[in-house]
Amino acid sequence: MNFNGYLRPDGSIGIRNRILIIAVDECCDGIAQSIGRQYENTVVMTNWYTCMLGGNEESLNQMIANAKNPNVAGVLVIAMGCGSINPAQITSEVEKVKKPVYAITCQEEGGTRKSVDSGHNKIRLLQDYVTGLKREPFPMACLVVGIKCGGSDTSSGIASNPCVGAAADKLIDLGGICIGGELFELQGCQEVLDVRASSPAVAQKIERLIENERKRWSVEGTDVETMSIGNSIGGLTTIEEKSLGALHKFGSKEIVDILEINDRVVEKPTSPGFYLSEATMLCGGSGVNFASYGAHMILWTCGAAGFENPLVPVIRVSANEDLINDDIDVDATGIMNGKESLDIVSDRIIDKLIETASGQKTQIEGIGGSTLTLYQKDQRLDTLLNIKCYKEKHL
Amino acid sequence: MKRFVVMKENDMVATALTNLKKHEVANIFTPDNNHIKDLQALEDIPYGNKIALCDLKSGQKIVKCGGIIGQCTEPIKTGELVHIHNVKSLIADIPVSFKKEIMRQMNICSKEGN
Repeated sequence: MNFNGYLRPDGSIGIRNRILIIAVDECCDGIAQSIGRQYENTVVMTNWYTCMLGGNEESLNQMIANAKNPNVAGVLVIAMGCGSINPAQITSEVEKVKKPVYAITCQEEGGTRKSVDSGHNKIRLLQDYVTGLKREPFPMACLVVGIKCGGSDTSSGIASNPCVGAAADKLIDLGGICIGGELFELQGCQEVLDVRASSPAVAQKIERLIENERKRWSVEGTDVETMSIGNSIGGLTTIEEKSLGALHKFGSKEIVDILEINDRVVEKPTSPGFYLSEATMLCGGSGVNFASYGAHMILWTCGAAGFENPLVPVIRVSANEDLINDDIDVDATGIMNGKESLDIVSDRIIDKLIETASGQKTQIEGIGGSTLTLYQKDQRLDTLLNIKCYKEKHL
Repeated sequence: MKRFVVMKENDMVATALTNLKKHEVANIFTPDNNHIKDLQALEDIPYGNKIALCDLKSGQKIVKCGGIIGQCTEPIKTGELVHIHNVKSLIADIPVSFKKEIMRQMNICSKEGN
């Protein structure tokens, strides 16, 4: 089984030719948007929270990792000139993968208007480069797919999660890579995860990273929501119940490793198989996390929510008869009423992965979509909770 | 036909795949579509929610999908709705203010009237 993708200079394979415009300072967002809205294949990522670097290294790491994602053909970095992030911190990394990259600094260009004009000039150069790229056939083994759920309800645990899990197993049998995350939603699943971990060391790392996420989200005395009201009205009673249902979407294969993402490292999958990761349970942020890990697409189980990511196309799977609409890419309702088997629906998911990888747009690609949310863990909280980078601690 | 599904053999609850009214009979199936038994509901069980397959004591741990999903906060009778008003998480429970809002929206109340 093959798909048609784009060979990048570093040997990775992209399935889209996006041009990523990164505004490293929040005040450059307007410039980035002014430039980006003129083209169909440009995507804006704004460091929306701050223009500081100290304490926000995880965001910078993700900006770099997203720029290196194989779905990105070229990159434009925009800075105001007074912030702490030097555009060269991103461009020098992108140059290492031999991808075309430009930077403009508003204060050096002579202001906002001149920066917009200069930005258009750079984008035109990148568009000329993109025009020369042609799709070629590559095996399914080249694909990296993130797996996530959102707007979970009863049909997720019974139908859409199990059939996505079956599809993940099939993709891995073809030599591909699948990455799950949402560690907070693996509470109470440790026994199953211990059995699936590739080694006792990996099992221990999984246990620690899940525990870290529990500590971050369950601080006594705060009313931080970890399950939405909609989840509960849909019938989910506890986080353990949600977790056991959610685990189905991660299939049944061995867990090769669990990938960290933080201020120190963005770990990448190195061999075929199934990986867990620190991709957040928050949908927008998870899209950027998955892109950071190098994912081409995301398989997303839901009721009928239209979550899409402009860099990493999202294939939405729903089994909710009452909510399903034309945002959904794969209809799994047949599992709920006993008319279709998991095997048949998971075959349909594999077909959809091939089509999407080869260039066919998902149901809402280019129509709706999430912002590229740069979610990061708060280094101050992690320090107070005595949470440290696992990889560095165990080297 | 009022279809409910019980995910694993020793599960103590089954999930409603349709809305069930008080006194109506739930038809319980396995995921492979085998009909196991029928059970009368003691209260409304909305789509997606869980019905108790056996009597449960306060403090007892509840098994669904072969795993422990929480602990009963009050006795639950066979045929009653199993949800946030009578079950709590053993790991990170839903904050009280959110529980109240969920119960208000679902029109359910606990036996202790909370």
